[in-house]
Amino acid sequence: MSKYVPKLSELKKEFDEKPSVLKGDYSAREWWDIPVEFRDGNWCFPGKPEVLADLGFANPRKWMATDDDWQLPAGWQKIISDGLQSRLKKYRSLKLFLDSCVRCGACADKCHFFLGTGDPKNMPVVRAELLRSVYRHDFPLVEKILKGFSGSRKLTEAVIKEWHMYFHQCTECRRCSVFCPFGIDTAEITMMVRELLNLIGVNNNWILAPVSNCNRTGNHLGIEPHTFVQNIMSLAEDVEDLTGVNVEPTFNRKGAEVLFITPSGDVFGDPGVYTMMGYLLLFKHIGLDYTISTYASEGGNFGMFTSNDMMKKLNAKMYHEAKRLGVKWILGGECGHMWRVVHQYMNTMNGPADFLEVPVSPITGTRFTNAAATKMVHIAEFTADLIYHNKLKLDPKRNDHLRTTFHDSCNVARGMGMFEEPRYVLRNVCNSFHEMPEDTIREKTFCCGSGSGLNAEENMENRMRGGFPRANAVKQVKDRHKVDSLVTICAIDRASLPPLMKYWNPGVSVYGLHELVGNALVMQGETKRTTDLRENTMAGFENGGDDEE
Amino acid sequence: MKTRWLHQLLDAHKEIILQQWLESALGLFPEKMGYTTPVAMELSRALEVILSGLGSGESDYKEALDDVTRILAVQSILPSKALSIFLEPKLMLRDIMLKTTVAGTMTQEVQEAFNSRFDLLTLEAFDSYMQHREKIYQLKVEEGRRRMFMALRRAEV
Repeated sequence: MSKYVPKLSELKKEFDEKPSVLKGDYSAREWWDIPVEFRDGNWCFPGKPEVLADLGFANPRKWMATDDDWQLPAGWQKIISDGLQSRLKKYRSLKLFLDSCVRCGACADKCHFFLGTGDPKNMPVVRAELLRSVYRHDFPLVEKILKGFSGSRKLTEAVIKEWHMYFHQCTECRRCSVFCPFGIDTAEITMMVRELLNLIGVNNNWILAPVSNCNRTGNHLGIEPHTFVQNIMSLAEDVEDLTGVNVEPTFNRKGAEVLFITPSGDVFGDPGVYTMMGYLLLFKHIGLDYTISTYASEGGNFGMFTSNDMMKKLNAKMYHEAKRLGVKWILGGECGHMWRVVHQYMNTMNGPADFLEVPVSPITGTRFTNAAATKMVHIAEFTADLIYHNKLKLDPKRNDHLRTTFHDSCNVARGMGMFEEPRYVLRNVCNSFHEMPEDTIREKTFCCGSGSGLNAEENMENRMRGGFPRANAVKQVKDRHKVDSLVTICAIDRASLPPLMKYWNPGVSVYGLHELVGNALVMQGETKRTTDLRENTMAGFENGGDDEE
Repeated sequence: MKTRWLHQLLDAHKEIILQQWLESALGLFPEKMGYTTPVAMELSRALEVILSGLGSGESDYKEALDDVTRILAVQSILPSKALSIFLEPKLMLRDIMLKTTVAGTMTQEVQEAFNSRFDLLTLEAFDSYMQHREKIYQLKVEEGRRRMFMALRRAEV
């Protein structure tokens, strides 16, 4: 029998003896009295000791969140307290966010985890309060002024467990901050608490293993350069089999005009690889002078979910490589948090990238002044510009077998304000596109439920709960408009939305935007196309439809 | 004859039963799920379809039953507790029957028919709930394979 099935005696004990929110046992108590319970499906495995050792991170050991004793290091309270103190000094934003909340509750029902679980500690205001309550207790001046009203509490091991649970039920999507009248960015509070937890070795392997791999080999899975090249060449062969066109990617080529960096999920994961095939076709179509690095072989930056220093280091790698190869600027693929790091943090962390040029599209001559500081252009913006200047030969009928909707990836939408460019591209490469309800898209987009390193298999139930609001919005367009294709521009979305759709909306598949671009591109010298990049039959092209008709 | 009673009763008291039923379903969540949340709206829609299905005697509520158990199967709620909501309309109807004039005319046989109908519904919900749990584990396996797609493809596994 599965180890997940509780024994009858355990069930009885649970019902009879344990206090429960359901029985009203906590109705008159404070929120922090409600116990934290780690069950299968609501937590991620902790970082492996060897991963921590590789990174030089604190307290490597074997442990589980379900253990009673988390084997915290000696003096852990002081480590946390000093860590908080130093971060309050370093980041004015953190102090501001901790001090300025008036608990108006505008954020409460905006969090997808709260909407999917009903758990009050998933209200962004309460999640932040998990830290604020300790902050008030530890910093006497605030405590003195607000004596008796401050809702402060002592830092105990139970608090650490609570932090671990709830700051890993926040995907740093920032939907709550859109609604906060003070503009408090709860994602940054989550980032700070995760950073503090890492100081005492309370962590998540799904985040730290990719960080360690990226630190060593340049990408999340630790794919080494020769394998990285083989993977992309294998995809290029697929493209040639399907279209008859040799896309000829180059690697680590010094003197190329553009360095192309995308999440490594596009190189080895399904369905990301089809998006990669789309990029390759696009670059061939316009004759772009680009190269792919096997060292800066990852757009994603899990350092953002770990610590500021780690984020900085992993981000710097992309710029070091751009310098080494002597390119003019960087073109970035469809990724989520890579863009938040580049757009919001890069310039003060590693910038300015003076050795690069302000990006100019070699095809249209458009100068991307919005990327003047970072020298890095988002591919949706790049492609939208190509389409606007009529530089692509597209046949949107080739996507007629798909009825699409578009999921705004949190970090691209809220992190860099890009809403229209991907939609413009999508409308030009397919004929059937329907928007999800207004309060679930653009700046109010609902997260996939698995962002910020929560995409671990063992966390599946949590992810399904957190992703429910997004899935529910997809269901509406599925029912109303028979939508069967969810298009997105983020690698984590491409990894996490397929199971979310399979669970909540069977029959809906997930696509990268540039996969559809790749389907629609009419390439010079191509063979008759009958199937899309996934080798699915295209409607109306069963016998090799003619695009010239 | 027996089922006609059930249909009439469900039809006549649909609104109150639905309200109480939704209330108890939302009460399963840690701090009672709000009425305007997507979860509450989905539950409200699906429970109404189930009730109408039982009332009309047609079994066109299977999809809605699936929708309810799909939500419950991923919550931190014990299966026994989650599925207990399907037994609750039985108790609600019993209360209603006691209060209404028709109660006097209820035979033991009819009451048993009521009970067994909701017992059956609970068992159907159990099947559906288990399918979703199995789906979760299937997704875990598939996800691992998808992530290693190229490695598996190149190894021709």
